[in-house]
Amino acid sequence: MRFRGVASWAISLFRRYLQVRAVFSTVVITGIALTIVGGFLSYSIGGGLFSTRQAQVLAESERAVVEVQNTFAASSVSNEVALQTLMNTIVPSIESTGTTNSRRVALIRSPGQATGQVLQSPISADLDTKVIPANLRVKVRASAGKLLYQSISLPVAGNEHPGIVVGAPIQIPLAGNYEFYLVFDLNSEQQTLDFVQRTLFFGGLILLFMIGAISFFVTDWLVRPVRLAAEVSEQLSEGALDRRLPERGEDIIAILARSFNKMAQSLQSQITQLASLSKMQQRFVSDVSHELRTPLTTIKLAGDMIFAGRDTLSPPVKRSAELMHDQIERFEALLNDLLEISRYDAGAVIADLEMQDLNGVVGMAIAGIEPLAMSKGSEILIEIPQGPVDAEMDSRRIERLLRNLLANAIEHGEGKPIRVAVGVSESAVAVTVTDEGVGMTRAEVDRVFDRFWRADPARKRTTGGTGLGLAISLEDTHLHDGWLQVWAKPNEGASFRLTLPRRKGMIFTQSPLPLPPKKSKKRSDA
Amino acid sequence: MSHKILVVDDDNALREMVGIVLESEGFEVAFHDAGSGALDKFNAEVPDLVLLDVMLPGKTGIEVCREIRAVSGTPIIMLTAKTESDDVVLGLEAGADDYVVKPFDPGVLTARIRARLRPLAGSSAEGTVKIGPLTLDIEGHEVRRGSEKISLTPLEFSLLLALAQKPNLVFSRAMLLEKVWGYRHNDDTRLVNVHVQRLRSKIEDDPDNPKIVTTVRGVGYKAGQG
Repeated sequence: MRFRGVASWAISLFRRYLQVRAVFSTVVITGIALTIVGGFLSYSIGGGLFSTRQAQVLAESERAVVEVQNTFAASSVSNEVALQTLMNTIVPSIESTGTTNSRRVALIRSPGQATGQVLQSPISADLDTKVIPANLRVKVRASAGKLLYQSISLPVAGNEHPGIVVGAPIQIPLAGNYEFYLVFDLNSEQQTLDFVQRTLFFGGLILLFMIGAISFFVTDWLVRPVRLAAEVSEQLSEGALDRRLPERGEDIIAILARSFNKMAQSLQSQITQLASLSKMQQRFVSDVSHELRTPLTTIKLAGDMIFAGRDTLSPPVKRSAELMHDQIERFEALLNDLLEISRYDAGAVIADLEMQDLNGVVGMAIAGIEPLAMSKGSEILIEIPQGPVDAEMDSRRIERLLRNLLANAIEHGEGKPIRVAVGVSESAVAVTVTDEGVGMTRAEVDRVFDRFWRADPARKRTTGGTGLGLAISLEDTHLHDGWLQVWAKPNEGASFRLTLPRRKGMIFTQSPLPLPPKKSKKRSDA
Repeated sequence: MSHKILVVDDDNALREMVGIVLESEGFEVAFHDAGSGALDKFNAEVPDLVLLDVMLPGKTGIEVCREIRAVSGTPIIMLTAKTESDDVVLGLEAGADDYVVKPFDPGVLTARIRARLRPLAGSSAEGTVKIGPLTLDIEGHEVRRGSEKISLTPLEFSLLLALAQKPNLVFSRAMLLEKVWGYRHNDDTRLVNVHVQRLRSKIEDDPDNPKIVTTVRGVGYKAGQG
């Protein structure tokens, strides 16, 4: 478990950090290269040491063999005792000559001779003749005076040392055929080689570590500006438009920083320009609406004065006074809607959320619109669940929104009944307002929330909406984190569904009511 | 006896029109067209009520309101073009009794004016009412803490009196709006909240920790402690 944790941590580190990847790759590749180079060095040093030593060994052996052969050939010993003495002096003398004293000597009588053995074979004290391989002895006997050698493993004080055995046949007068062997211990060469290999190994390790460290610092040095650029662009994307990279030097990083900063600068100026344009636009709408209010007040007061005294006027003037009075009210509604939308555009709207009974709010909205419905002959049918339907909402806005939907339904409902349904679930509440009027086409549905958009410009306007009602309704819905959806079909009618979370921040994935609403003919009296 | 109303507005047409409406309703009207000099005009005319535009040249309506409040408790109604909280609350905090948002109906304007001019609620009673350390003299429109007289505007007096006459009864904001301001079907809670704050700043020892007019969370206000 623990290992797996560490492994996954390492993998995530590897994935996340370019630098970790770069250092890791460098170390691995360098490690492979060092292993190859070290292997080659070790092999060629070992080979060189061995061949040098071997040449030396053979040369020494040649001399020794010649010396021994000559000694025997030149001697004029005539009895066996004198010969034995001569032999016994030869071995130590050969042992102690040469470059190293690490050699041992053996003078062994070849087996299978007719004459009996009359002399003791002189052998170095610490040499076991078993180390001389049998096949070498066979070859030496058949070699007709040539020097033969073989690599062997030499047991010395419990350790195995590498060694070389060199052998040659020797003729000894009175005594017959002998084999002369020189055994060389190559331990010092082996030690030299071991030392060289150890040095190479540790040197390689240190080099590897240093290359790792160097690549870490170099990549860090290269990655740091990139990382900084990443951080700064992250901050830029989060809206800190005045963040910039430091520009130093003339290298590629400096070029990156300069062009990055140039990009950020142009982004900032464009965004600022757009923001100020949009702010100016909003200010303009807001200011115009405010500036219109004072003259409108005067007009309204004057209009009301005239309207109140209309009975004293001649019929055409009286009718004019009535029309003016109505249109002043419409003008005022339009101005209020403009102000409201400009407040939304400026982001200056804050919801005044309170627990409310949605049934009650729906009832208030219907009560407010009832006179208009009556005048159009539209019956409003209500289908609401038992008991209070609690939800957190800004009831003033939701009531206005519902009044808007109802007014729309009445205007396009052609006097047919309008159905209002309320639904509730664990996390959401919903209201649908459905008419059976002219309906809308697909393309019209897509534009229904656009400002000042009218479904059919040629159609006679009767209820005098401002053209901003649904746009404001949609903003009101968004303020509550809710949905405002519409379904419509030409000549079948339209249905608007408002879905709100029951509490602020509650997540809902489904509205408690279907859209389009099911064709229920169940009637309940309003 | 007709009441005299001072209309302070820089828009000539509106000022004249308001004058026509008010005169047709039987009020006597005086005019001023700027923020500067408004206080002098007020002192010269001694009106029963002031209609004050928020946006004025020279001095803002808020400043003028504060100046008048410093010398008098005469009812002030602000005329505001903005419904944003800031303007309304600033005006109320400066001492305005009420506000009307442009464009307004003549009916609404005269109703608000009459509500501010009619005899104070509960003032038909006689004698004194005691609440906490305060004594309210209903006929004299005076509030005393011991022998020290506290200066309240008629509206503040009316608010305190409404609460004090029914100690420990919790008044909702809508109830206070109806009783003190004379409104029905109005849920403008800012009007009540700001005036309760102003009242507290005058009568409480520690307005942040009120003892006389206390808040009942989620319901409203009452006189006396829980």
